[in-house]
Amino acid sequence: MAEARTPRATATGAGRVLVAIYGIFALSATARAAVQIAGRFGDAPLAYLLSALAGVVYILATVGLAGTRPWARTLAWAAVGFELTGVLVVGTLTVLDAAAFPDDTVWSFYGRGYGFVPLVLPLVGLWWLHRTRPSPA
Amino acid sequence: MYDALALATLVATGALALFGLVLAALNRAPGRELKIAVGVVVALLAAQAVLGVVRAFGVTLPEQSTFLIYLAVSVCVLPIATQFAYAEPTRWGGVVVAVGAIATLVAVLRLQGLWVPSG
Repeated sequence: MAEARTPRATATGAGRVLVAIYGIFALSATARAAVQIAGRFGDAPLAYLLSALAGVVYILATVGLAGTRPWARTLAWAAVGFELTGVLVVGTLTVLDAAAFPDDTVWSFYGRGYGFVPLVLPLVGLWWLHRTRPSPA
Repeated sequence: MYDALALATLVATGALALFGLVLAALNRAPGRELKIAVGVVVALLAAQAVLGVVRAFGVTLPEQSTFLIYLAVSVCVLPIATQFAYAEPTRWGGVVVAVGAIATLVAVLRLQGLWVPSG
């Protein structure tokens, strides 16, 4: 029976710390994007849309990691994987062509403005999802 | 902003982060003492936020709405993080409080940077 060996929840123990960090990033990235888009969207539409996208990804990752249902783990894998891709792609683009990004996003320069936490966080997230994965029946 | 109060909140949130991490290092679940410490820090932050809102309407800031959002965030993060932390009766609860305290510390620092009054 699957119930006899429930997979380790992603939101307990050290995972609770991870969820807390994701929650804070979800809040700050979304709030930042909201202010940017509401206040001065025309200045740097690409950067502000990326901020909003990052905010949504952090929200989905938080929900996925905090949840206990099977779909939550799938959602967490997808969101954290997308997050790692996002920070690597946006980070590389900002290094190569800084002029295309007149205003910073969370992922600019691999998250330099946030102490590089946006670069480290998805790596820790993927490691944690791997570590807590359900053991094969 | 108001240098003494800002300094007090920075020191208090830093000390709270350290407190949470020390509890975790000692392998202790968050208890009553940590909750009291959080209460004191949140009271300081709330005082700063009230003063900040009052002062913000008397001057012109380059990013008024951002400033007000940071004020709200600086007060709200710790109570939510603490609620979340106490559902985890292990050493990791203390780390969650520390994470909340560090995020609050960053928000207070950002508030300092945003306080560029004119007029």
